Amino acid sequence: MNTFGDANSNEIRIYDILKTVLDPELGINIIDLGLIYEISFSKETGIKIIMTLTTEGCPMGDAIDTEIKEKLKQGFGGFHVSLEVIWEPQWTAERISHEGRIALGIE
Amino acid sequence: MQGINTQAAPSASVVLPHYIFAAFSFLVLTVLIFASGNSFIGHYFSPRLLAITHTGTLGWGSMIIFGAMYQLIPAILQIKLFNEILAKITFCIMALGIILLVYSFWIFDTGLPMQAGASLTFVAIVLFCVNIFFTIRKIKNWTLEADYILTSTLWLFLTAAIGLFMTFNFRKVFLEESHLLYLKIHAHVGFIGWFLLLIIGVASKLIPMFLMAHGLNKRKLSISFYMINIGLICLLVYWYLFTDSLLTWIFIIPIVIGIFLFLSYLLQAYNNRLKKGLDIGLKHSLIAFLIVLLSLASGIAACFESKINQDFLSQIILIYGTSILLGFISGLILGQTYKTLPFIVWLHKYKKLLGKQQTPLPKELYSEKIASWQLITYIIASVIFITGIFVSNKTTITFGGFFLMISAVLYNINVFKILFHQTNPRQ
Repeated sequence: MNTFGDANSNEIRIYDILKTVLDPELGINIIDLGLIYEISFSKETGIKIIMTLTTEGCPMGDAIDTEIKEKLKQGFGGFHVSLEVIWEPQWTAERISHEGRIALGIE
Repeated sequence: MQGINTQAAPSASVVLPHYIFAAFSFLVLTVLIFASGNSFIGHYFSPRLLAITHTGTLGWGSMIIFGAMYQLIPAILQIKLFNEILAKITFCIMALGIILLVYSFWIFDTGLPMQAGASLTFVAIVLFCVNIFFTIRKIKNWTLEADYILTSTLWLFLTAAIGLFMTFNFRKVFLEESHLLYLKIHAHVGFIGWFLLLIIGVASKLIPMFLMAHGLNKRKLSISFYMINIGLICLLVYWYLFTDSLLTWIFIIPIVIGIFLFLSYLLQAYNNRLKKGLDIGLKHSLIAFLIVLLSLASGIAACFESKINQDFLSQIILIYGTSILLGFISGLILGQTYKTLPFIVWLHKYKKLLGKQQTPLPKELYSEKIASWQLITYIIASVIFITGIFVSNKTTITFGGFFLMISAVLYNINVFKILFHQTNPRQ
């Protein structure tokens, strides 16, 4: 799983784009919520995102999916975008960033 | 997107008419209440109260739940709605049926309008049940939520069937027992079997999701499911076979335990919540769950009817019914409207713009200030109205009805503000 530390410049760009995608219910971006598990990019296979949602069956899933794909299409025109939502490992509060915690009123 | 069922939500034209009809019904309900102060002093089996109750349970409660279920079932259970056209036909038949039924109850014409209204409503409910049944049948991984939804739908069918028989029985008596017995059975199948089970099934998924609460004990919900269903079946069999209420208190014990298990599940969600601040939708819902305690207290008190003065018993039964319909069911719906409707409209209006332009958040589609005043007037109305019934004072009841009407007007303003929202991407 990508820890973002060894990411190439394209993956950093993808990370920055995903930081602009908000969960419509919470108004917090999906990076700060800790929803993104893995970002990978190669010229051969395109962009691959592995992510989760805070709850299985979350009605916001569709909207988040659409926004991610649209924004990545604009930033990386021509590359295939593959988005996979997984439920294991399950999302936990520990994944929320410091900024996300402040926005939620936890800190 | 792999892992979630995308594009499963039905079109807005299936869901939104239900919200519009329900919001208008809520307003009509409060106007009828305001104009019927006297009806909350006498016996609960009166034409005006029948009209008021059916405006609330069918036009307001069931109609909005139908719309919300068409929207939420695909999300919660990860399946597509069986048939959208069937849902639209159901809505039209149901709307016509409710209007006829409420009108005939209000003027108490037991002739054609009442039977036509009841028949249309029954047909609509059967069509709804068919749609839900064939939708749920497609589930690959059966869940507890599916158990609740399917069972509540079956209870809804039974409620409608009993109601239909009763309206025909008004015209030509063919049922053996008294109307009061069938009314009691009809009301409890509806309130406990339909509303309560459905609310538990959906709220147990949505409330923790909105609160961002995890690690909850779902076993409580599983036990609650069996307790409530078994308790309700035993209660109905006892009432029908023995036609008295002496031992009612024994059969409501499992139901009460089931409700407390659900409330304890919600309390756990509240305590484990990550989202500390409660928005208007969750505040409304919280109040609804507190009011259910009053419903339980008055319901338990009414079990001991032989030991209570008849006038006081009528007051207790009225408080019981009012706290369920105007407190628990209405409070929850008023709150959950703010959690579902803005999102439905937002998705409909902005889905094509997502990612292309900056869009507002769903909560920005309504006025927070109006919603807060709606909540305040609703709380004031509930306190005054229940007090009015308790002291049997028409002026107090009418005063409570007035505040309730104000609350309904504010609710309608916000609902229509959401519905008529103009697409306005942020630059």
